[in-house]
Amino acid sequence: MIGQLTRNERQGALLILIALAILGLAMAAVGRDDPLGGQGALVMVAALAGLFGVISRYYAPEPGPDRVSRYYDEPSKVGIIIAMGWVVFGLFIGDWVAWLLVDPNLTFHAAWSSFGRIRPVHTTSVIFGFGGNALIATSFYVMQRTSRARLPDQLSPLFVLFGYNLFCVLAVAGYMMGITQSKEYAEPEWYADIWLVVVWITYFVIYLRTLARRKEKHIYVANWYYLAFILVVAVLHIVNNLAVPVSFGHARSYSLFSGVQDAMTEWWYGHNAVAFFLTSGFLGMLYYYLPKVAGRPIFSYRMSIINFWGITFFYMWAGSHHLHYTALPQWVQTLGMTFSLMLLVPSWASAGNALLTLNGAWHKVRDDATLRFMMVAAVFYGLATFEGSFMAIRPVNSLSHYTDWTIGHVHAGALGWVAMITFGSIYASVPWLWKRDGMFSPRLVEVHFWLAVAGTVIYVMAMWNSGIVQGLMWRTYNDSGTLAYSFVDSVVAMHPYYIARAIGGLMFLLGSLVGCYNIWLTIRTAPQVAGRTASEFPDAAPIGAPVLQPGE
Amino acid sequence: MFDHDTLVWVSKSFGLFYLIALSLIVVAYAYWPSNRKTFDRAARAILIDEDKPWE
Amino acid sequence: MFGLHYRLETKAMGLVLAIIGVSSIGGLVEIAPLFTIHQTVEEAPGMRLYTPLEIAGRNIYMREGCYACHSQMIRTLRDEVERYGPYSLAVESKYDHPMLWGSKRTGPDLARIGGKYSDEWHVRHLNNPRDVVPESIMPAYDFLSRTELRKDDLGEHLAALRKVGVPYTDEMIANASSDAYGQAAPDTPYAEGVVKRYGAATNVASFDGKSGELTEMDALVAYLQIVGRLTDAAYKPVASAE
Repeated sequence: MIGQLTRNERQGALLILIALAILGLAMAAVGRDDPLGGQGALVMVAALAGLFGVISRYYAPEPGPDRVSRYYDEPSKVGIIIAMGWVVFGLFIGDWVAWLLVDPNLTFHAAWSSFGRIRPVHTTSVIFGFGGNALIATSFYVMQRTSRARLPDQLSPLFVLFGYNLFCVLAVAGYMMGITQSKEYAEPEWYADIWLVVVWITYFVIYLRTLARRKEKHIYVANWYYLAFILVVAVLHIVNNLAVPVSFGHARSYSLFSGVQDAMTEWWYGHNAVAFFLTSGFLGMLYYYLPKVAGRPIFSYRMSIINFWGITFFYMWAGSHHLHYTALPQWVQTLGMTFSLMLLVPSWASAGNALLTLNGAWHKVRDDATLRFMMVAAVFYGLATFEGSFMAIRPVNSLSHYTDWTIGHVHAGALGWVAMITFGSIYASVPWLWKRDGMFSPRLVEVHFWLAVAGTVIYVMAMWNSGIVQGLMWRTYNDSGTLAYSFVDSVVAMHPYYIARAIGGLMFLLGSLVGCYNIWLTIRTAPQVAGRTASEFPDAAPIGAPVLQPGE
Repeated sequence: MFDHDTLVWVSKSFGLFYLIALSLIVVAYAYWPSNRKTFDRAARAILIDEDKPWE
Repeated sequence: MFGLHYRLETKAMGLVLAIIGVSSIGGLVEIAPLFTIHQTVEEAPGMRLYTPLEIAGRNIYMREGCYACHSQMIRTLRDEVERYGPYSLAVESKYDHPMLWGSKRTGPDLARIGGKYSDEWHVRHLNNPRDVVPESIMPAYDFLSRTELRKDDLGEHLAALRKVGVPYTDEMIANASSDAYGQAAPDTPYAEGVVKRYGAATNVASFDGKSGELTEMDALVAYLQIVGRLTDAAYKPVASAE
């Protein structure tokens, strides 16, 4: 990795790491009476480890000037490995959290392992650790190929990758130490938030600089989605995390917003994190890897553009459906519900566009689990977006909100859509990146596929059942007109579903372990190939050949 | 500053017009005849696999 | 390395601006009017402020992620009002930075938990929930009773809250640490100070049943006992959610 940096870039890396180490030391010093001190120490240790890595390879030969005739794939390779690490960790914690609801004594009486502290560890690890790293790794890959241009330099992509992971580690370690600002899916405190802004702006600048160097005149639509992901997440992150720290020596800060404004800001953020992190970014992935693996151009390029603006526009209105029947003004609730329903149009059009692209490649879907991962992802995307719009309808929401149904819905999206499209893209990328003929064992990809599908289905079914049972029990009246069940009755009724859910989650975890093993074997042992040519994609018609678009 | 009712009124009316205008612009762009060649080319171009940047 | 010496041609920048423009409209339209909402929502005169001990307890509630399983927002639905109490009003959380409305009820809603159970019940429940509710799946928080509360920096916490709009006075900020101690130590001169500054309705009690050391258990129970009781606006018949 360091060997690919020029001497100047190695010096730049040293400067950044020294500055970071000093920053960590300062945090540890001023925050010595506070959990902030521990976070500072963590920053310092990370920076010192980085320094050690750079110094030990400082005098390694520099890359030659011919490097510019190749794509720079080191950050993508490292990013994929890190993403697989996060998914195993995040799913393990997630399954532990699931078993905690079966037996609350599994915290072992420690503070750091109680449900409320490790739940955000799970959500942050899978969403930001796994999802974020996968997006960074694939976006670097895709933007170079679609622009036919190399990344502008070698250092800044690595800064983004490792800087982003430092943020994730600070966040996850912080929750277990008791640091959180308690905003759902935005729990990290002010100093980590500021650090993420620095990393994110660098990411954005890399994207713009690569686009500016592009040799293709038109910007391929996958980049639009990635760009929307980067831009809008930045806006959401900055606005939602506006806060006043107690002092520079405290990890704790107080949100600038309170009450109803804070609730609307939080769910404007929360829902659009789903939109622009978990949808837009991964649609970018889909629009590159699915046509590529299927060997067919996207069914309707126009539809992908229309859907892009539809998603970018509609999602921003939908957040208030998280606050139905609350103290939020009703017109805002109605607006949120209306736009949530309208969202179904671009969402289903996207899912349909993906599935129609596979028309003519169904034999590949049958034979290749990599492509099947992507197909199932598109199906779950369609399912989850339908369910999402349905649950945004006020009367439906009165039953589903606050129950496990929401958890089931989120996991239909997270496991079925986000994780499946990512695994598909990773299985496609690994042989391309490491120049191998294919994955070490296609059979293990099959095993992973079926474990993932079965795990997701069990999980989602269990949560549908528990959620609806819960929602109905809370509102059931007996003949005398009083509530039929106490709250704890509903807790008892959940027990079998919670066991089923934990088993579904375990299967999904096992699948990703199989995936790690297979990726490791592919990198370590499979032979090199000479180089790939366009002839491997026989279905691809030459450029310029007329293709009928729908709507003509 | 702004009256709450004014703000709500602007939100409710402006939002609707904006939605219609935006839909028209997007559909016009997507179906503009001269863009067709660009889109067809873009959709197929990613399938060409040279694995090195263009000079 | 961050230099923008490349010509950022208009197409990419156009796309960037279009994305920002298109995406920001929805948020602006829905959020902006909420900042003038005080013109329409009824004020709650005489609304109390969280005491320093209650703020400390609220921070523990957040630290332990209680909001992940307990909402603090009763919706305007018949069964919720009958199960938990009057539905929540916007004004009730106007001092909540951030709000803790929550999104999931693995456990029951807590918007009206204040005053519903005794201090002793809360302490037993937090030490081991299954001692009082055998079927409960809540984790045990027995370590709170063993952990001393940090109170030397509570003044700074109140000062930060004042910066974001909570009307704490200089006197409250200056006496934050001793007020936190006093609220859990009835029969001491410090207790009188809390009542003087935060009103006669302030809960002064030896929350965890032990005098002397101020523990995190004291703070959390003090907070739980004030949840939903900063104002009685929700109990007034004219209250409207709109």
